[in-house]
Amino acid sequence: MNTGIVLLDTVYDWFFLGVLIVLAVFLLLCLIRAIIGPKIADRLVAVNMVGTMVMVMVAVLALKMNEGYLVDICLIYAMISFLAVIILTKIYLGVYKEKKMREEESQ
Amino acid sequence: MEWIRFAVGAVFLLIGISIFAIELIGVYKLNYVLDRMHAAAMGDTLGISASLIGLMIMNGVNFLTLKIFLVVLFLWISSPVSAHLLSLLEVTTNEDKESHYDSDENESAGRHEE
Repeated sequence: MNTGIVLLDTVYDWFFLGVLIVLAVFLLLCLIRAIIGPKIADRLVAVNMVGTMVMVMVAVLALKMNEGYLVDICLIYAMISFLAVIILTKIYLGVYKEKKMREEESQ
Repeated sequence: MEWIRFAVGAVFLLIGISIFAIELIGVYKLNYVLDRMHAAAMGDTLGISASLIGLMIMNGVNFLTLKIFLVVLFLWISSPVSAHLLSLLEVTTNEDKESHYDSDENESAGRHEE
């Protein structure tokens, strides 16, 4: 972050570094939740949470490194994660219904 | 003047991160998927909006601030749709739903009488 004062620049740097480390620890815990969770919907909820935390991390990095175009990446990542949840849900619903129809035909 | 801007932005950013911590504790302690979705929606709406409002305050009046606001707006519009589809998946593919509902056979803590 580029203000005029040198002391404020170092305070900004260390503050953003602390925020990034805390968010990285939370991301690892969300990943453990995605591995443990017994059903499909548990894992999809955890992946959604990972996406949200990554968005905050990218926005903080955009301010820390003073590069403006990283916020565009954040916006595109939001759209892609939303699309991924919708497509995975439709696929799992289709697989379940196909299994049900095959079981009914074989009876 | 710059110090006041840093202080206010830092307070908002720390509030946002504490909301993420509360969401993570909630997802670990609850037992059923539809309960965990209550906790996860808290991070999607309030957690990210408080964090990004803190970043907007730190940045001043700029074009980058408007782009960060667009990220918040898109996430507020698209997050309820994905939550609705996830709950539809869970209700459709669950064979044994009746044990989670509050019917007369499994009443909890004697709230309803007869």
